[in-house]
Amino acid sequence: MTTVAVPTDRHFITAWSAVSPYGLESADYARGVTADVAADAGDGSRAVPVPDGHAGEQACLVPGFEVREVLGRAGTRTMDRATGLAVTAVRELFDEASRARRPVPVGTGTALVLATTLGSAQSQHDFAHASFTGEKPYDVPAQYMPNVLMNCPAAASAIRFGLKGPNTTLAGGRPSGLLALGYARRLLAAGRAERVLVGAVEEYSPSRSWIEHHTRAADETPGPLGEGCALLLVEPGNGIPAGRTALAELLAVDARVDVDDRLATTAEACVRAALAAAGVEAPDVWAAVAGGLTGRTGHVETALLRRLFGPEATDRVHVHTHIGDTAAASTTFQLAALLATAKGDPTSHGRPAVITSIDRDGSVACAVVRLLGEET
Amino acid sequence: MSAITIDEAVEAQVREIIADALELEEELTRTGLFVDDYGADSLAAIELLSTLEKTFGVTIEQDELPKMVNLEAVLEVLARAEAR
Amino acid sequence: MTARRVVLTGIGVLSSIGNGVTEFTRGLREGRCGAGPITRFDSTGFRRQLAHEVHDFTPSQWVRHTPAEQLGRATQFSVAAARMAVSDAGLDPADLRERPGLVTVGTTDGEADALDRLVEAQANGTVPADLDPVAVGRLAAHRLALAVVRELRLSRAVPSVLGTACAAGNYAVGDGYDAVRSGEADWALVGGADALTRRTFAGFHRLGLVASDRCRPFDADREGLLTAEGAGVLVLEDLESARARGARVYAELLGYGLNCDAHHPTAPHTDSVAQVMRLALADAGVKPEEVDLISAHGTGTPTNDVTEIRAVRQVFGDRPPRTVALKSMLGHTMGAASALGAAASALALAHGFVPPTVNHRTTDPECAVDCVPNHAVDADLRVVVNNGLAFGGNNAAVVLGRHQES
Repeated sequence: MTTVAVPTDRHFITAWSAVSPYGLESADYARGVTADVAADAGDGSRAVPVPDGHAGEQACLVPGFEVREVLGRAGTRTMDRATGLAVTAVRELFDEASRARRPVPVGTGTALVLATTLGSAQSQHDFAHASFTGEKPYDVPAQYMPNVLMNCPAAASAIRFGLKGPNTTLAGGRPSGLLALGYARRLLAAGRAERVLVGAVEEYSPSRSWIEHHTRAADETPGPLGEGCALLLVEPGNGIPAGRTALAELLAVDARVDVDDRLATTAEACVRAALAAAGVEAPDVWAAVAGGLTGRTGHVETALLRRLFGPEATDRVHVHTHIGDTAAASTTFQLAALLATAKGDPTSHGRPAVITSIDRDGSVACAVVRLLGEET
Repeated sequence: MSAITIDEAVEAQVREIIADALELEEELTRTGLFVDDYGADSLAAIELLSTLEKTFGVTIEQDELPKMVNLEAVLEVLARAEAR
Repeated sequence: MTARRVVLTGIGVLSSIGNGVTEFTRGLREGRCGAGPITRFDSTGFRRQLAHEVHDFTPSQWVRHTPAEQLGRATQFSVAAARMAVSDAGLDPADLRERPGLVTVGTTDGEADALDRLVEAQANGTVPADLDPVAVGRLAAHRLALAVVRELRLSRAVPSVLGTACAAGNYAVGDGYDAVRSGEADWALVGGADALTRRTFAGFHRLGLVASDRCRPFDADREGLLTAEGAGVLVLEDLESARARGARVYAELLGYGLNCDAHHPTAPHTDSVAQVMRLALADAGVKPEEVDLISAHGTGTPTNDVTEIRAVRQVFGDRPPRTVALKSMLGHTMGAASALGAAASALALAHGFVPPTVNHRTTDPECAVDCVPNHAVDADLRVVVNNGLAFGGNNAAVVLGRHQES
């Protein structure tokens, strides 16, 4: 293990959870993403057929995830899938921290920042559909009105666990999770929360499948859609309770948009700016984890990372081939996979790592962290 | 004029709608209060109103909502509701 | 490093009482009400027929680098309001291009209108086997910020959309405040945008929250809100750079507060609403008695107004400052509401007037405040608190102060 002298004005990832196609627990996710892909049956992904998906595609679903079975009947009657996934991810993070005898305080000091594409596309779709097909146009299911709003997963998590700090829902396309990290850092730096749960949620639903299918570029060779919710607990150095180990320090986040149709140049500028802000040299980077788009856009990203950091760094962590396309949640799943992989590899300890994401519409983002090792 | 005549079948249907909207585990009494005795909230009340409207093809005015405090009151409101 | 002071130097507005800061200001002073029949979607069969719509909006006037049909109406609003704000600040987009900045736009519905139209086609069985990718491409909410960055070619801007429902505008203002104050960003374009959507109208209608004629906040006979569309975008920059370029300053942002009720999906919570105002005042270093005006969330629904005024009285005591509800004029513009509230607060500070609560007849004793009924008044204002509350208990309050060059 590595002992870290924790300063006060910096921000650390001290816990994470991932409700993923590997299961509800972070251990499931860690086992899944670090497994030897070749040893797994087939291609190692968790895809299953989804007859209601667009053109009967496959998708990577959280296995057996039924909201009321996972969360019980109390207060879950109108919970949609996106909301259920988010609430479960918060529960898992809290439960794991409590099992380690380091419970996460709730109340006014705890913020939740959750990224998403739309919240629950299916809830919105069904609600609108009811208006068009009901006897009266106002025959919409009133009890699902909160679900139609993007903030439902974050707000429902707050209600269930008593999170009374800032409660923010953020949409930013595929880089959303990194934008949420940047937002969380601003909250902490301004003293608006003592700790922030920050992450992202994406549901699989026929409606999302319908939308995504028609959003993809012609040159992409998309894999299955994935779903889940990944969360990180980010705390300032002086806010980490004794006994909780910092897993990684958040060094820098850079996000920008390619406004000149020079995607490769913009992406490189973004990554280099993040490295410079972090005070990190490219050759020191232990792992670089890309956002997983295919097609020309994805190629720009993977080529850039290989050139800057070398194939060893870019091949260390595998995410999207395992869990599918998690869209707005992809970067948080990348970070969780990085932390899971680094835990099992002592060569990572003390080294920086890079998470990137590029979206079809030209938005790019990069985060740089320093991996600190973990008590085992 | 009212659109619905309250009989045993209607009452049974209303009971079912209330039990569903309020997620009742226990027996619904005619005078048991939705909020105080069964823990209903404002969204459940609206859901109840809208399900009654759809099921019985009536319109229940918004100002009837505060009166719908228990089964008996709901049946009274339903009895005077007009067709949609 | 001492934190920088953050000032508001540009305003862009689309609203049912006027587009552009000049018309908007005139509308506020005159106490215009922008309610009218719904034209944005077919309202046949609804028991309520009124909303506040934006008129005289020509997308091609504002959207120049992207085919306008690729952008949904809310995104077009966002782009237009951003262009107006930058121009109003006396800036050329090129002035911002190479400097780190933030574009944060709040919204409730994003491009729900675009989804509504696809769902309608599906429900009618007229949906083609392959959806028009242009139509689907409009759906993503994050495009409200992204399109601003692309249109103004802001190559160093971070684009975020905040989906904190009806408090989203204030959330965005707060994010820009923190980024400029800390020096992370040199400038911020912040605010909110929403287009009128059938889905949200149907939802509020079903919840019994839509008024039959006019929105009458704090009135004894208030029936509810009127849904609305609009956008408000503000230019934030630090005081020194604003001074250096001789910018006109509308107001200084003094601070803000965020919290979450963690209580109920739709019912607001008095103590928590009081708490968010206390947080904002503490952040701004302002005492309750120093506040001259509250721009309330003031939806005109029975529950909101009682809850909010109880919270106001908790914080400000039995003689609270004048408390006005712009939604009487603008309708409930959802994610744009508190951004338009911040814009109006800044204009009130800069021009020395209090915009009225229109459509007002008799104040509800349970909402006993001076809501400045029906007619604007001149007033020497120093500090204004602007509230935004949302379903899900997402609350945000922003404190603005008059700027005086010493």
